[in-house]
Amino acid sequence: MSRVITITSGKGGVGKTTSTANLGTALAMQGAKVAVVDADIGLRNLDVVMGLENRIVYDLVDVIEGRCRLRQALIKDKHFPDLCLLPAAQTRDKDAVSVDDMIALAHQLRTEFDYVLIDSPAGIEAGFRNAIAGADEVVIITTPEVSAVRDADRIVGLVEAFEKSHPRLVINRIKPRMVSRGDMMSVEDVLQILAIDLIGVVPDDEQIVTATNRGEVAVLDRASRAGRAFIDIARRLGGEEVPFASLDEPQGLMDRFFGMFGRRSTR
Amino acid sequence: MSLFDKLFRGRQERSSDVARERLLTVLVHDRVKLTPEILAQMKAELAEVVARYVPGANPDEIDVTLMRGESNDHIKADIPLRRSAN
Repeated sequence: MSRVITITSGKGGVGKTTSTANLGTALAMQGAKVAVVDADIGLRNLDVVMGLENRIVYDLVDVIEGRCRLRQALIKDKHFPDLCLLPAAQTRDKDAVSVDDMIALAHQLRTEFDYVLIDSPAGIEAGFRNAIAGADEVVIITTPEVSAVRDADRIVGLVEAFEKSHPRLVINRIKPRMVSRGDMMSVEDVLQILAIDLIGVVPDDEQIVTATNRGEVAVLDRASRAGRAFIDIARRLGGEEVPFASLDEPQGLMDRFFGMFGRRSTR
Repeated sequence: MSLFDKLFRGRQERSSDVARERLLTVLVHDRVKLTPEILAQMKAELAEVVARYVPGANPDEIDVTLMRGESNDHIKADIPLRRSAN
């Protein structure tokens, strides 16, 4: 029973592509056959995040327009042979693809993979509609900021309008210290506003930046807190009940000192 | 708010609370396409209707929030009533 899951957000820059790369890799680590699809036509990015940019020969539009077979366009991951990337076209505009094309493509990928993860472009226009057209499930990425949550709310409405099953939420780049100071919305605040099911909370983690610099993904780094959070999300996608890890960071002396005052007043 | 915050920031509201409240307001527009003018008008009319039956409703004190439920959105109106002097 394979599943097509679209990763989307509305707002750009909240971590869709990073999430797609990490979740795809985490699912492959669990032994699943996974295809990750870059549906951001014209703004190809998933390839560089996964460090596969030098191996691209054909792309998604080549497959759709029949210039190559699907298998020729799929790029094997560096670490997991059962993880493949279907890159976006870089030189074409997004009108090169239709909703029907994406449904047909998802159908074709489904026959060969356990999971098909589609990295949606930002926005709510044609590219987004194409990206969710063939999906069984939708995962919405947001950060605890007003602009990202507002856009996520629009996406929740649209996903429901397209009659996709209940979307699930990832809250990315949360900074526990800012939350405890009352300077960042908490997981509970965001959930109360969006009222959809939570599938994961990813702490802000500089290792995401350094891993991406090298074309690696954080889930391969055991020391990465964000990587561990993505592994938990992948397990939840697989149907496992994984408790939500505590976000408390190991604290320095000064934090502990001020923490003594802070802890008393959790509203 | 920690003692540290109280000492150095005065009585400023926590920015996360400000964010949450601003979002709730903005989502009222996004979801139901209520402009601030129409929202004000609705509050005034609500106050008028309520006052017809129960005295003491003040349009300025009505708190209208929009919430997303399982399958429907809800408009929640909190209408405080002034206690009369008797």
